[in-house]
Amino acid sequence: MRKQISAKTKWLIVIAILLAAFVTVTAATKTGGWGEQLVQTVLTPFRSSASALVRQVERYYDYIFKYESLQAENQTLKAQIISMEEGVRSADSLQRENERLHQLLGLATEHEDYHFATAYIISWEDSSWKSAFTIGKGTNSGIHEGLVAVTEYGQVVGLVTAAGSNWATITTVLDSALDISATVASTGYNGVVEGALATGSEGLLRMNYLPTDSVLRNNDQVLTTGSTVYPRGLIIGYVTDANFDQTGVAKYALLKPAADLDDLEQVFVITDFNNS
Amino acid sequence: MLKYFYLTKRQWLGILKWSLYGLLTLLVLLLQTVVLSPLSIFGAKLAPLPILIVCVCIREGPEKGGVYAILATLFWCLSGADFGNLSVAVIPVGAMLSAVLCQVYLTKRLLPTSLCCLGVSWINASAIFVFKLILPPSLAADNYWRVLLPGVLLSMLFMPIHYALVKLIGRIGVRDAL
Repeated sequence: MRKQISAKTKWLIVIAILLAAFVTVTAATKTGGWGEQLVQTVLTPFRSSASALVRQVERYYDYIFKYESLQAENQTLKAQIISMEEGVRSADSLQRENERLHQLLGLATEHEDYHFATAYIISWEDSSWKSAFTIGKGTNSGIHEGLVAVTEYGQVVGLVTAAGSNWATITTVLDSALDISATVASTGYNGVVEGALATGSEGLLRMNYLPTDSVLRNNDQVLTTGSTVYPRGLIIGYVTDANFDQTGVAKYALLKPAADLDDLEQVFVITDFNNS
Repeated sequence: MLKYFYLTKRQWLGILKWSLYGLLTLLVLLLQTVVLSPLSIFGAKLAPLPILIVCVCIREGPEKGGVYAILATLFWCLSGADFGNLSVAVIPVGAMLSAVLCQVYLTKRLLPTSLCCLGVSWINASAIFVFKLILPPSLAADNYWRVLLPGVLLSMLFMPIHYALVKLIGRIGVRDAL
């Protein structure tokens, strides 16, 4: 077969290999960012249009095929509201007491220091080994690397890991590359949360370095401990399982992410917060 | 001066053909990153783009097709593909060797093209998997059978559509050349 390959084809094979080496070196040394910036900037309008089209199609699909299930869900929710109203009535008195205590302590209203930039998701990472997506806003809207993205309920979605003028890539909490310092809300145990994809538990998070004597309950809420990157008190997930790690000197917990990443359309990037 | 800008009918048809290949590549890239990437089947995401690149390369031959394969893979890599730098070498080289193989020993029909597409996609996914296995945070090895293989095989569902479209575009200018 070697004789059948023309000189031009051989040159093209050499060029492909050299190009791959060049891209690898420039990516490693962060000098080749202009190529990615250019392609991403050109692609962003196409991706925005395509994702808007997909959202529109999904809405029509939901309207046509999910009407009955929505009606059933509506009935269930109405029943839930009635039972919850009773709880709210008793909570009202506690809330008033709580408000008074807040005023007494002079605590600021929660998260008053946050500044948000909202953005729609325009494309998702196509690799099975990475969990990331691209949003249609970037440095022009004050979004840059190292900012946290959350849902409207303050649930951690991920971290901005690359940004251009009109786009930004957000690596989600499910990705194994992301480490978040976290604490179990009910007990105060500290640990580090990372995506459990590498360990074969897709869709879950893993909280490592928990004390061996720690006692964890299902649905315990796990929050960010607060750092220069992550504001304190954001919801990361809920405990679903716990066990000893391979060394036997520390425990780990598996968490269900608080943010529903499967149905995510829009995210809120915290562009500024007071980390003192 | 103007005579330098004069293009023959054959050249115009060549431009049209490669523009359509470019447009198809862009559409498949959008399909892969916007429509298919939020979904995962058995934990695997589908990647129809490498299949299209191999299809075009086989149809157009290792030389013209090779240039297309290099440019298309580079564009995909710069659009933020995971381990795209590895694909810049693996996919064009695999596509060019497939084109030579089909030209010399096989034919450009559906079955040989499908086998070549499957081979190149599988080698590309395996090469990325090996790096993910070595580099921290390393993947669990059982993901190879559980996630990678179903992903590669399910991506092949796009092969007949790609083949038909590429064959259709590849016909542009053929009668004129004869």
